[in-house]
Amino acid sequence: MIIRVEHLSKVYRMGKVEVPALRDVNLEIEEGEFLAIMGPSGSGKSTLLNIIGCLDKPTGGRVFIDGANTASLSENELAEVRRDKVGFVFQQFNLIHSLNALENVSLPMFFAGVKRSERLKRAEELLAKVGLRERMHHKPMEMSGGQQQRVAIARALANDPKIIIGDEPTGNVDTEAGNVIMGILGDLNREGKTIIVVTHDPGIAAHAKRVIRMRDGRLFGEE
Amino acid sequence: MIDIMLMAYRDLSERKARTILTLLGIAVGIAAIVSLVSVGYGMQEAITGELTAFADLITVMPGKFAGMSYVELGSFTDRDIRDIRRIGGVKEVTAMMHGAAEVEYRDERKPVFVFGGDTDALSSFYVEPVGLAEGRWLRENDYKVCVIGNRVATEFFDEPIHVNDKLRINGEKFIVAGVFNKASTLYATDVDPHIFITLRAARDVLGNEKAKYKYITVRVYNINEVEEIAERIEDRINDNHGLDEFATAMTMGSMLERINSVFSILRGVLVGIAAIALVVASIGIMNTMLMAVMERTHEIGVMKAIGAKNRDVLSLFLVESCIVSLMGGLAGCIVGVILARVVSLIVSSVLEIEFVPDVKAGVLLAGVGVAMCVGMLSGFYPARKASKMSPVEAVRYG
Repeated sequence: MIIRVEHLSKVYRMGKVEVPALRDVNLEIEEGEFLAIMGPSGSGKSTLLNIIGCLDKPTGGRVFIDGANTASLSENELAEVRRDKVGFVFQQFNLIHSLNALENVSLPMFFAGVKRSERLKRAEELLAKVGLRERMHHKPMEMSGGQQQRVAIARALANDPKIIIGDEPTGNVDTEAGNVIMGILGDLNREGKTIIVVTHDPGIAAHAKRVIRMRDGRLFGEE
Repeated sequence: MIDIMLMAYRDLSERKARTILTLLGIAVGIAAIVSLVSVGYGMQEAITGELTAFADLITVMPGKFAGMSYVELGSFTDRDIRDIRRIGGVKEVTAMMHGAAEVEYRDERKPVFVFGGDTDALSSFYVEPVGLAEGRWLRENDYKVCVIGNRVATEFFDEPIHVNDKLRINGEKFIVAGVFNKASTLYATDVDPHIFITLRAARDVLGNEKAKYKYITVRVYNINEVEEIAERIEDRINDNHGLDEFATAMTMGSMLERINSVFSILRGVLVGIAAIALVVASIGIMNTMLMAVMERTHEIGVMKAIGAKNRDVLSLFLVESCIVSLMGGLAGCIVGVILARVVSLIVSSVLEIEFVPDVKAGVLLAGVGVAMCVGMLSGFYPARKASKMSPVEAVRYG
């Protein structure tokens, strides 16, 4: 088991009003799974994903990633988890505009202290893997949405994490590009990566082997 | 490290205009410090250098200084001079007389200040630094012969005076043997409006019964004894005249001390002004870096989301402000040195004092160091703010 979520709760405070985003969520994810989390907006699916990806901290409950309790990790250790164990793919791509594709992909390796020559070599391989070898010196603004998202996937793979997390990874691209992206994620899953995506598109969720549904901060159904 | 610098460089060059403005702010501050301090040192050296040439000299005057003004209490006698000659360590004593005299040239009469003194001593005081435009200097056995200052020759009378012209001083006929060059500011008031004659002639022309001297200069053998001898001269002359504070014996040492203290105050003021410029510059850096942090909230969030630690973000922003301030500091040093030269040229032509700015390596190093410190300090708060940002909130701005 690579991820275990126990009695997870998250409350956002908006001034004096408390808004519960997650209520007592329990979830276990095996290594090599392809999981889709579905639900309407405001159902808490992105919050769950952010906590699993160590971007956000829970109000209550525990999350184990690869056996480690994330609640007991320091900020630096959480940064290491994000760097080495989890690859994030965002709806907005979130590439750094001043860097070209190659540099964007090598950035997580830069933070991990990988030598320059080594990381540029690996970044090139990863870009080739997502079919963008000939575009590696282009900046994000010179690429289509689908291409940018493929760069983002290559970046998520930079430090060879076991888990790839996608928050609406196809939300900002057209259907064709979306299919390419889901295809790549499917390939990665076949190579052994654990994939978790959040989506509200049933067509996208169809790529997953397991689908769970959320509403009002609770899990309520599984297929 | 090289990677961080490359990245910082790229971020800075993305925002060229703002980076250059910030850099300019620092450069101006540093340039102000470097140039002002260098000009100050250069001036001080020029003046003290000139004065140390007279380190073995004691000037004795029959009066005292009260603040900035000098009150004459009388004049020296031949006995005073004899007594000074007897003091151990004294090498030579020269006395000078001076007074206003009526000078007549081609039926025109003007009052002019006349100096009479030892020809060798006067020569070393005035002829060596100023030089003669025409003719020759006085000789010991000259009698009714004079050398005139440049303004006496060219401005005082309707017709200019030249060598071998004749003029009358208090009715006595004199021949002009030489004319001084126009003197620099330092000497202008001493030489330009005066007439110089021998002591023998002065005794007769300035016409007083007891030959009263207004000015005695003493040279000593050993520079280290100069203060001590000056004190003894004062005591001896005060005894002769029966007064406690009749004579003032000045050495260059006491003058140097005074000048040095004036310059250290001046430097303090200059550095203070420059420091204000630097404070303004550092606010500029802080502002630039804060803007950069805000502008890149999203970018910082992304970096943290893909694994950047707080110290990665902190060092990226610190390196950025260091690069800006280092470049600003270097540019400031270069501009400062050029500025110091320009200011020196202007000042030396206006004041007619020859001096070059003294650019000390220490001042340059301090300039760059101060720039770096200012950059680090004013970059630290924004960098820390950047590093503390929560990734999830920052990413949401996208």
